[in-house]
Amino acid sequence: MKQGVIPDQFTAPFWSAANESKLVIQNCSKCDRLQHPPAQECGQCKSGTNLEWKEMSGKGRIYNYGVVHDCPIRLLQDDQPFNVAVVMLDDDPGIQMYSHLPGTPADEVPVGAEVRVVFEETANGQKVPEWKVVT
Amino acid sequence: MSILISFDIDGTLEIGDPPGAVTLEMVKTARAKGILTGSCSDRPMSAQRAIWKKYGIEYDFVCYKHLLPDLKKQFDAESYYHVGDRDDLDRKYAMRAGFGFFWPDEAAKNPLLL
Amino acid sequence: MTTRYAPPSMYRSREGVGVWEHRGKVAAVGVGHSPTERRWDERPETSVGAWSIMALRNAIADAGITPDQVDGLVIVPETTTGAFWPEDKALPQDVIEAFVQTNDPLDGIAKLSVDWLLKNMPELTNINYSLYAPVCMSNALNVAAQVVGDGLAHTVLVLKAWHNLQGRYYQGGQNAQDAIGGTSAMRSLWGAPACYGTALQFAEYCHKYNKNHDMMTPFIINSRRNGLMFPEGYWAQHRPEELTDEDYQLARWIAKPANLFDNDIPIMCAASYLFTTAERAKDMKQKPVYILNHADSDAVPRGLTPTLDEVEAECALTGRKIYEGAGITAADLSFENMYDGFTQFHQFHIEGLGYRGIGFGDALDFYQTDISIEGSNPVSPSGGNIGSGRSRFWMHTDSIQQLQGRAGGRQITGVDAEIGVSGGPMPLGGNYTVWSATPD
Ligand SMILES: [Zn+2]
Repeated sequence: MKQGVIPDQFTAPFWSAANESKLVIQNCSKCDRLQHPPAQECGQCKSGTNLEWKEMSGKGRIYNYGVVHDCPIRLLQDDQPFNVAVVMLDDDPGIQMYSHLPGTPADEVPVGAEVRVVFEETANGQKVPEWKVVT
Repeated sequence: MSILISFDIDGTLEIGDPPGAVTLEMVKTARAKGILTGSCSDRPMSAQRAIWKKYGIEYDFVCYKHLLPDLKKQFDAESYYHVGDRDDLDRKYAMRAGFGFFWPDEAAKNPLLL
Repeated sequence: MTTRYAPPSMYRSREGVGVWEHRGKVAAVGVGHSPTERRWDERPETSVGAWSIMALRNAIADAGITPDQVDGLVIVPETTTGAFWPEDKALPQDVIEAFVQTNDPLDGIAKLSVDWLLKNMPELTNINYSLYAPVCMSNALNVAAQVVGDGLAHTVLVLKAWHNLQGRYYQGGQNAQDAIGGTSAMRSLWGAPACYGTALQFAEYCHKYNKNHDMMTPFIINSRRNGLMFPEGYWAQHRPEELTDEDYQLARWIAKPANLFDNDIPIMCAASYLFTTAERAKDMKQKPVYILNHADSDAVPRGLTPTLDEVEAECALTGRKIYEGAGITAADLSFENMYDGFTQFHQFHIEGLGYRGIGFGDALDFYQTDISIEGSNPVSPSGGNIGSGRSRFWMHTDSIQQLQGRAGGRQITGVDAEIGVSGGPMPLGGNYTVWSATPD
């Protein structure tokens, strides 16, 4: 079970969208450039005044993965070993998100495979974007 | 009845870092009772062998924690136990491998070692 | 004296800026270390403050000068290995009473300020310039070289110290909580351990170049062997255990493909170096080791973790910056002491350097050849963090000692020690120093 999430002012739009089963990513409207994790300013133009949240298609591909056998987070230790994959979004492959790939056995990860976003409840009920392999 | 006991080192044996509740005398006592003994630790296996040699204690095996299932296949015993001080690395690995488990202070009071 | 962090202008971050303006005019002379320990036993004499003082005094004595000759300090104020003093735990009273306090009770225990050092080292009577450098000795060395080169101070002590506390690595704090803040959750919710990002890059590397984890074995064994000849190091001092093929290859995974021995062990320790002008160095006790260049990598990955493409591009750029500013080529390197804590990025660093002519994808094959200190292609003669525990400074001490001819059992013998390079930590985000036995 993932730890719960306490949204802060800065990331609240991401987390409230997740609770409505929507994936939004921060975008600089001036540069037309997405960035994740969100930041106080655009990584390219360094301005914080043109940042907005943009809804994504929820499609991506598995770029790479590791298998975690010794995790520092107490709530996840019972699930070891587990996959932590890096998903690149179809909307912009430069945007990466981590995933436990629910439904994919540990170390049996099809690198390059298509994935779709799903929304999973964490320990305090806050939902978080996760990814499932498209079969 | 054949018994196998695997000892973690750090936090478990008196010579560990940090020292644990299980003394080398207890290990020797177990051996004198015909129990199969050895270590199962994060220390390099070559270093585990060197430790037993240094203290002049015979051993039947050295092992890494995730290899406890292989150890079980290797030795034909009726009961298998692991003694360790960590929940995630000792107790859980032992349970998954079908070993009984003792914390060091429990083991130090167990008749098998006394 | 108010101390601030070194400004960006002190770092050599860009390519195309030519040979370093102070090439060969700054020298390292003294080296000072504290002992090592796995964790703090909460005695005053083993605190991070006490060991910092010890390392500084040892560096002064090694250089054969008096404390009043030192006029500058460049230190890393952060000392944590990942361990933080628990908010609900009282600080040991005998430690508080053993030192002159600043207004921060954790100063000298879980962090370090210039103010604290000056209050507790009354012999440093002439310090009139000081700077902080973030996190690593590698960074502080770049700053100190520039400080001496620019004439902001002429004789500078550089210091990095580490504290490690009781309890397991990274298991407390946020990781033990049922819920975490929304910003850190973006990355940390998935439970990836510290080595995960590097393990990912290594996985992609193995896939791209058809290599495998077992091919790292000679590097691991060589690193531990060299580390066991480092009397200042943790393994040499506490657990002189060599590693075998079996030890490494069967070890449990932390984040596959990174196993236990691909990770370094967090320890307590401190080290200091004395930097001065090439002119003044001539009159000091040890042979001067001249600094030919310093270089900085400040790249930021686009995504959560650097891709192999980003890593290779940045390491190649770092290599070019290192050589350009030093006015040398890869062929001039006698040895390399690039960072290794995680083992799985050492190959990126040396491929970026083109060490002994290797290119991207070649290092693991190179590891299968003679990479020992006795051969002509020494790899990590310091043994690095794998050889001596996590300090991120063994490679600098070793580089200086190699060029002074006092690396003891680690002294390279298959090639003359003339020019070496050391630095790190990460392929994206590191600081590098080029050292030479002669100023030109
Ligand atoms: Zn922008």
